[in-house]
Amino acid sequence: MQLLVNGETYEVDVDGETTLLAVLRHDLGLTGSKYGCGEGDCGACTVLLDGRATNSCITPVDSAVGQAITTIEGLANGNDLHPVQDAFIEHTAFQCAFCTPGFIMSLVALFGRNPRPDERQIRGALTGNICRCGTYVRILQAAKAAAERLGQRGEE
Amino acid sequence: MTIISDLHEDAVLVVTGPPQWAGEMELPEPAGPEATLLTMNRQGDTVAFSGKVEYGQSIRSGFTFAIADELDVPLASVQLILGDTDLVPYDRATLGSQSTMTVGIQLRRAAATARRALIALAAERWSVDATSLSTSEGHIFSASEPSLRVSYADLLRDQNLRLLIPEEMTIKDAEDFVFMGKDLPRTDALARVTGQAKYSQDIVVDGMLHGKVLRPPSYGASPQQIDTTGCERVPGFVMVVRDGDFVGVLCEREDASEQALNAIRVRWREILDLPSDSDFPGILKENAGEMVILREEGSLAEEFAKADHVLEGSYFIPYIANAPMEPSAAVASWEDGKLTVWSGDRSPFGVRDELARDLDIGEDQVRVIAPEIGGSFGTKGTAGVAYEAALLSKAAGRPVRVVHSRAEEFMWGTVRPATLIEIRSGFQADGKIVAWECTAYHTGDLAIRGQRGADTPYNTPAVRIAVADCKSPLKSGSYRSLGCAGNHFAREVHIDEIAASLHMDPVEFRLMNLTHPRLRRVLSQTADRFDWDSRRTESSSGIGVAIGYDAGSYVAECVELVVQRKMVRVQRVVAGIDCGMVVNPEGVRNQVEGSIIMGMGTALREEVEFVGGRLLNPVFSRYRVPRINDAPQIEVVLAGDPTTPSTGAGEPGIVPIAAAIGNAVYNTTATRIRDLPIVPRLP
Repeated sequence: MQLLVNGETYEVDVDGETTLLAVLRHDLGLTGSKYGCGEGDCGACTVLLDGRATNSCITPVDSAVGQAITTIEGLANGNDLHPVQDAFIEHTAFQCAFCTPGFIMSLVALFGRNPRPDERQIRGALTGNICRCGTYVRILQAAKAAAERLGQRGEE
Repeated sequence: MTIISDLHEDAVLVVTGPPQWAGEMELPEPAGPEATLLTMNRQGDTVAFSGKVEYGQSIRSGFTFAIADELDVPLASVQLILGDTDLVPYDRATLGSQSTMTVGIQLRRAAATARRALIALAAERWSVDATSLSTSEGHIFSASEPSLRVSYADLLRDQNLRLLIPEEMTIKDAEDFVFMGKDLPRTDALARVTGQAKYSQDIVVDGMLHGKVLRPPSYGASPQQIDTTGCERVPGFVMVVRDGDFVGVLCEREDASEQALNAIRVRWREILDLPSDSDFPGILKENAGEMVILREEGSLAEEFAKADHVLEGSYFIPYIANAPMEPSAAVASWEDGKLTVWSGDRSPFGVRDELARDLDIGEDQVRVIAPEIGGSFGTKGTAGVAYEAALLSKAAGRPVRVVHSRAEEFMWGTVRPATLIEIRSGFQADGKIVAWECTAYHTGDLAIRGQRGADTPYNTPAVRIAVADCKSPLKSGSYRSLGCAGNHFAREVHIDEIAASLHMDPVEFRLMNLTHPRLRRVLSQTADRFDWDSRRTESSSGIGVAIGYDAGSYVAECVELVVQRKMVRVQRVVAGIDCGMVVNPEGVRNQVEGSIIMGMGTALREEVEFVGGRLLNPVFSRYRVPRINDAPQIEVVLAGDPTTPSTGAGEPGIVPIAAAIGNAVYNTTATRIRDLPIVPRLP
């Protein structure tokens, strides 16, 4: 089957029931999306399907065919990081950072449908992501900073 | 793969010494043998070596800032090699919030040794006095003679310096720091936000197979009959490995290995009469080992007789799962009889020694490399998954990766010990504590686990502190601030109970019974920032406070929260920490914030549930860790004196939080909860 990942088309030969996460990590070597629970409880595997945040660990790969798949590896434009990535660095919104790709992808999905979310909406978009290091305060700060930057960009 | 001899060959300056140095403080263990701590190459780039590992606590950045400051070089020219047993000094494990105060200091001394030697070289070349020369950004220059300027790289050309850290080597004072003490981005930030950081589950070795290990459904269960014929039908299945009760499957793909594992049919014999969580806390006293008296002073009988009031309380802390986001994983590869293991473990040398022992090979035949580690909090301190990968790899003759599932991590990782603490106190009507008797029962095989933080910091004429270990039905392991957090919960709730019984303000009551200058200062500063006096009278929310000490540091936390039916919403936490001189303020704040969030979980909802050897909640949907909606506003006050030595920052923030929350819940509901977690016990 053909998959469109980070703007490139890949041909993969796997069973359709294989999880999207397994295909990304094993067949495409995109290991930025993490295995954290395998049950959609923790959000470490979050990727975008046509812009929607999706737990790739419980998504059969055949259901992603025909949709644009975006992973953490596909966010930056060359050396230009996505504003959410920049904001995570500026606010050190991570410790071990195992969950970080998932949080960033969930936020990118949120900003895609709502460029000016308030704090309640930001929290709502991140309830499915767990950070056991407990950096939530910083993640909120980074998200608000990114929202501001994206909002300004939208006005220009 | 990096080889130490290559690094040495390239090096034109090598500094050696014992890997740890604690100055006037005592090292927790003797320093390991002398080893290479720091090298510089012809380009003037620095490589430093430490057995400490990076599991989120920002030790790589902290060490980099420290070395760059002592050497006066740009941050980008410093590389750190961490947790690779073939390359780094024998630093033992990363635990107890010790890294900055022991290894960090020694790396600074190593860097200072290099800098002094470089200045001496320049002084000799120019025939000037070394004291007339300064260093900055990898250069040596004379302030009075502008023509005298040379880069470290130029100076090191044709040199081959081998230096031992001199005993009297001094390091810089805080006012001379360029990087330390400043808010700087982490040196590893870019890889962490782009998905490039490699954890054990991301390591790929050519020809690698994927392994899964058969697990019993309950603790102590043994297989009676095993049928693995179903595995053959799984595409990509390679082999089954059996060694006694150990059964592993190997496949070409990770998802296939899961299918193959599920295709195994097993009849288990389970042990049905194992303890359940409902047997706690009673089972703790019944199974107590020898009581260790930590401190016995004054006459309890006399002081209790003289006391105006006597108060007794019993406090319980259940088993808690560490639940790091990265489940344990390892890759093992054998080449010419030598085993290389990539395993995100906080103790690479411990894993090496364990593997050598269990596989009956020499320690020099095992190399353990710790990649990025996705959280530890005390677990990931044994060779379990590394051993499984090594065994499977040996049987298959190919490299093998084993990644534990979330359920395996919950069930076969270690848990924070369950604890029962009984406190009896005597105090006067004016608030003076006169007698304190504390008896703590901590599960685990060593009473020493429960001793940390068991003593009372309050001035009390008669004190008896006793700690016993108890047999544990679950595998007790380490946790953030092991033992200490539980001991603090009991003591700081009890202190609050005394203050409440006397209708005294809990901050004032604590200050009245404390003379320790650092604890007094951190409590006062924290209460001030919180605006304690006015919040206490004006706020309709619950307000609570607790203090603590751990890893050489002192902490105080004030909490404001609301309780709505069976829900506690923590709104604001102000945390003060005195960890002496702060190398990396951003790192300290991040650690304290994380400790508070983690401690909120243990305070409010977390509890490992089990019946007769079966875990009931080995999934995140039923084991409720804090999520972003639980996160309060957190303010961290750095209350340390920059002239006192650096002490731990990774753990102390967790010790007061559960008590501060419990005390705030009492403040608003008048319900005193002495057993954790709080939420299920709300009326």
